[in-house]
Amino acid sequence: MFSLAEHRTKRTRTVNASNPIPTDYDTFRASIREFLKEALTPELIRAGERTTSVFSDFEAGRQWQSTLHAKGWGAPEWPIEHGGTGWDIQQRYIFLEECKLANAPNPVMMGIQMLGPMLMHFGTEAQKTQFLPGIISGDDVWCQGYSEPGSGSDLASLKTTANRDGEEYVVNGTKIWTSMAHHSNWIFCLVRTDKNVKPQAGISFLLIDMATPGITVAPFPSLDGEVEQCQVFFENVRVPVANLLGEENQGWTVAKYLLEFERGGQHFTIELKKQLGKLQRAMANPNSRAIDDPTYAYRVAETEIDVMALEQTELRIKGSLSAGDNPGALSSLVKVSGTELGQRCAELLIEAAGQSAMPWQSDVLAPDYTGDTAAPAECVTTMAEYINSRATTIYGGTAEIQRGIIAKHVLGL
Amino acid sequence: MSAHMTEDQTLLQDAAERYLRDSYDFNQRRERIAGGAYSDPGQWQAFAEMGWLALPVPEEFGGLGMGTREMAILAELCGQFLVTEPLIDALAATHAIIGVSQQQESALPRVTEGELIPVAAIDEADVASRLSPSTTLTQTNAGWHLSGTKHWISAGASATHLAVLAQGAEGLAWVLVPAAADGVECDTFPTHDGRGGMNCRFDLVLEADHILLQGQPASDALEAYRALAMTLSSAETLGATQAALDTTVDYTKQRVQFGQPLASFQALQHRMSNMLIQTELTRSLIYAACNASDSGHDNAARFARAAKVKATTVGRKVSQEAIQLHGGIATTDEYIVGHFFKRITALESWVCSKGEALKEFMALSPS
Repeated sequence: MFSLAEHRTKRTRTVNASNPIPTDYDTFRASIREFLKEALTPELIRAGERTTSVFSDFEAGRQWQSTLHAKGWGAPEWPIEHGGTGWDIQQRYIFLEECKLANAPNPVMMGIQMLGPMLMHFGTEAQKTQFLPGIISGDDVWCQGYSEPGSGSDLASLKTTANRDGEEYVVNGTKIWTSMAHHSNWIFCLVRTDKNVKPQAGISFLLIDMATPGITVAPFPSLDGEVEQCQVFFENVRVPVANLLGEENQGWTVAKYLLEFERGGQHFTIELKKQLGKLQRAMANPNSRAIDDPTYAYRVAETEIDVMALEQTELRIKGSLSAGDNPGALSSLVKVSGTELGQRCAELLIEAAGQSAMPWQSDVLAPDYTGDTAAPAECVTTMAEYINSRATTIYGGTAEIQRGIIAKHVLGL
Repeated sequence: MSAHMTEDQTLLQDAAERYLRDSYDFNQRRERIAGGAYSDPGQWQAFAEMGWLALPVPEEFGGLGMGTREMAILAELCGQFLVTEPLIDALAATHAIIGVSQQQESALPRVTEGELIPVAAIDEADVASRLSPSTTLTQTNAGWHLSGTKHWISAGASATHLAVLAQGAEGLAWVLVPAAADGVECDTFPTHDGRGGMNCRFDLVLEADHILLQGQPASDALEAYRALAMTLSSAETLGATQAALDTTVDYTKQRVQFGQPLASFQALQHRMSNMLIQTELTRSLIYAACNASDSGHDNAARFARAAKVKATTVGRKVSQEAIQLHGGIATTDEYIVGHFFKRITALESWVCSKGEALKEFMALSPS
């Protein structure tokens, strides 16, 4: 029983881990801010501002990655021996937050966020030496070859084959939703190496040079008219066996590790707080449909409260990560909430913009575009962001897949 | 995902949970309420012995001097075990009103011992203007005359004393009135959450030592009380919400229809996943509200409102879903899940509604 006397004698009050950032980090934040002020050119900032999906203008993103790499900040989350910064979780969060607030463009991150950790975990020394430096410098651009036209949520049903022929695999098949494949010089692929076992057990993980004969890339525009997605075709593509990551038929294990990184490595509230700022500005803008609308203001306030709840949940997860726990299925919780809240913000923003969001002017998105815009400045990307927000609950494991994971692994259903 | 707790907090939670699990049986509670007893004096004495009533009392007055986070631990358990004794009511009144009053020295030890059970009496017939009450406190030759009527005193029937909000000569005033005093006429009524509600008419003359606070300190205490009560009601709602979800998960694993457990149907799995997602998000926000309050954060008042909005929204949704996912059994009085639903519904309107909390949240700019 909890006794009064016992309690009085052993009272200790410790600072709670989920409290806001302690002052020690202020200096760190200031140094990041100072660097960003120096390093971000007007063109890079414009590319950041006019980002309508997870990808910024490709060249701007590449240039930014090169700048970060030169500073030694190319992959803050990586271990120091591979070029990481040695920052703690809080410092990495501050870095991401400041980059976002300063409108830095997003480099293509599939290599750094996904393949890098995999290579370090499953790769041979030769593979690490060959691939990690190009990833962190941004000289090599990697795309992800997982989904196929017949294999979306049911990824393990994939049919692209890799048949061993001497010291090479011969790859045939097709991949789709291969973001930025048209800008990439490497692709990491899941391929079928055994058809006679259960689907997950016959998959291998291959690293493929996009310049290999037999590869065709077919980009296609998304609903917003922009081209980020591609279908990639493989016709008798010969890949050295040395480019197998992990063991043959262990590709599913490799992929699962990656998917956890994809889900867990995201900080939704940084972006969401930026969206809240746009909502506040929309409510103060006399040209907005949201001006003097109490029903709109209530919805924004409820959204803000939901963002606060998500932020505190991300902090709780960060706290358990610091303690060495794996967030596991809880990254599904964050992914579902973060993406659905992003969609809600995007909806509120097109509502405020009204017809001002309608002009479709693709050239505006180029970072060197300085001409007139048909839409008011604050509405140039509003519709594209809304349209693209619908994809967020589909890629990286649909909201339905995430709910299934929670049902199975958290609730035990 | 564990929430970060200090060793003391874990100790408190474990001991309190063990006690309530062993000694606060749902069926005994049902029988007691059916017999017309809104609370069990033996339970209150046990709460006192375990130090729960001492949590918000400063050490110099024999208490533990603990904060919102510790009180919220008990509040959550009150929700989980459907405690009908006015624990969060008394904790909030003790911490925010009596604990800062001129009577702290005499009243607080009595609270700690379980002898003085205080609840706040704020609402009046005109609910919209309840923060500027029409109940008056006037100085006369004979003493202080308290006159007016207070409504909807939640669990008032289980209190020994009422902390009454009145309008005095120097602004607001808090007065501590024994519920049994001459000149206090109370109508009690059972409420849907198993408690005894109360409306009271006051027409009595009091000695000056009944006045807890007057003027600005009384206004400050009102804000402190409301913010704390919002946070604690959110925490109790959270406890009941989590319990409703857990009960639902267990039930759907056992209940077989069409030859398989209900839990195997994806349509139901995804609904339970949503219940879990929202409950966890709410939990994070409530703990943050507690920490903001305990660390004196500038945004503490705002966090309290945010917690109230979120807990109310999520508690309502999850407890409704809990009934739907159970089916008919959940609509019976003998099954527990409907009682979580009723307590959550009662808490929705305690201190303020979701809409009122939202409006207050909007009026407080972030810093």
